[in-house]
Amino acid sequence: MTLAQLAITVGLLCALGLVAGRIGLSAIPAYLLAGLLLGPNQPTATTLIQPSEVTDFVAEIGIVFLLFFLGLEFTLDRLLRSGRHLGRGGIIDLTVNLGLGLLVGAIAFGFSFAALVLGAAIYVSSSAITVKGLIDFRRLADDETDLVLAILVFEDLVIAFALGFVGGGGGELADTLSLVAKALAFITLALAASRWLRGPIDHVLARLPREMFLLATFAFLVGMAALADWLGLSEAIGALMAGIVLAETAARNEIEERFFSFRDVFAALFFFVFGLSIDLDALTSVGWLLVAAVAVTLVGKIAAGYLGGLAGGFTRRQGFNAGVALVAHGEFTVIIAQLAAGNPAIPRGDRADLVAFAGLYVLVTATIGVALMKESKALGRRLFARPTLRRGG
Amino acid sequence: MPVDLRETRLPGVGVKYGFRLGNGGRLAIILHNDGPREIYYFRRADDEEPRAVLRLDDDEARQLGAVIGGAYERPKIVEELEMALGNLLIEWVVVPDSSPGIGKTLAECGFRARTGITIIAILREPEPVTGAQPHHVIQRGDTLVTVGKAGQYAAFRRLLADGPLDPGPSPGAEPASQA
Repeated sequence: MTLAQLAITVGLLCALGLVAGRIGLSAIPAYLLAGLLLGPNQPTATTLIQPSEVTDFVAEIGIVFLLFFLGLEFTLDRLLRSGRHLGRGGIIDLTVNLGLGLLVGAIAFGFSFAALVLGAAIYVSSSAITVKGLIDFRRLADDETDLVLAILVFEDLVIAFALGFVGGGGGELADTLSLVAKALAFITLALAASRWLRGPIDHVLARLPREMFLLATFAFLVGMAALADWLGLSEAIGALMAGIVLAETAARNEIEERFFSFRDVFAALFFFVFGLSIDLDALTSVGWLLVAAVAVTLVGKIAAGYLGGLAGGFTRRQGFNAGVALVAHGEFTVIIAQLAAGNPAIPRGDRADLVAFAGLYVLVTATIGVALMKESKALGRRLFARPTLRRGG
Repeated sequence: MPVDLRETRLPGVGVKYGFRLGNGGRLAIILHNDGPREIYYFRRADDEEPRAVLRLDDDEARQLGAVIGGAYERPKIVEELEMALGNLLIEWVVVPDSSPGIGKTLAECGFRARTGITIIAILREPEPVTGAQPHHVIQRGDTLVTVGKAGQYAAFRRLLADGPLDPGPSPGAEPASQA
């Protein structure tokens, strides 16, 4: 990748991101689309960038930053404060959507590890797109928004766990189970460290001059990612842990502020690089899968919001709104597919299908999801009679 | 005093506060983790769409909070002056944009003759009018500094907003000693 190519790439990311923002969409599908355009697959007329070691490395840094920021938001305190909807709503969502996802996966890939990966990719909604929609469409003041956010927190938990083995599992059952155990141990250790090491970490960070603060944090982050990689877990879980360890420190806000721009740049490049490997020709093999998965997502997510809403004492309209807000899939689906693409235990053909599927699936659900969310209140008024049960305040 | 102030955490977004209003409406205030505040006003508590949404950045929100909370209410010197005035009040009254008084002189409006309220100054950009005279003309955007008794202000505000209901003293009858 030359500097000129990088300039064109970043310029296109910015332009498409702006267009997406104009029409009310998240930037994630725009970045994927940019990768699709400039990548080696169809359309070939605009091919500019070939996937290489450089692009892979940039994507890896992107994953590291995305997961680091997820980790920074990930404190025991926050989990406890997420309130009463966390368990009930989260478990309903998990049962319905992981169940449906696994069903689609089993039909596509048989009873295999790839089916599990596909199930996870279909299960997990996009926190980034949903939260942006809630803000843009002025839903933050609505009661059902609490339910939506609690479900997203629950999904984060499940995915943190899944990231531990998606990239390396799928061989011998015992190996996969040991990976799961390692991932669990890793997350527990990180949570413990965030409790007990808070003082010493703050002590060290507070004494560092500006630049060294930045470098020390970055070294810690990449070091944790490398350590996790070395242990056979994915770099993603290492980065997540680094975030969790720092989440309760006094330096957290400063770290977030300093690294926001790094995350934004590298996350954009990560989605772009993933877009490079989307092969539209694969539509012939994943076309039906895409249609089935989108249908299942619409039904499953709306049902989960609706049922979770009724269980939580909301009206039918509010439950419908909550479900629609969860339709959009994004960053986690892409991250799961990217990690699975590097997993030698999954057959080559299945990996290619997973990548093509995840890219197109995110493009479709992110678009439909946001469009539906915008109209969900009007739709709810048509579908459901004036509710009799109201929650106050 | 809203007793039902509800605080809800919005994971990844911030904190939400909500309470019902005496008129049946509802307010929700969202403090975003990254600084901005949003105020949602619902005309009725169970409305699906907010009637108004106000989005403020950190500085603006603090300014608004200080004003509403009373930190900027009145300069100290005015409070002392009020004490000296006994049961007389000094009030700042903003002229509504629809006021029929706009474009008329203070004498034509006849505030003192009709309500007993005296206008002592007019605050406007760029130069305020100190020592308002009967010939001074009210302009759009003016704030009137007034002296009067508490009971007279209701009538004064009605007159300023809607104009006279009854034919009052003829124009020019306002005594020249207005200031």
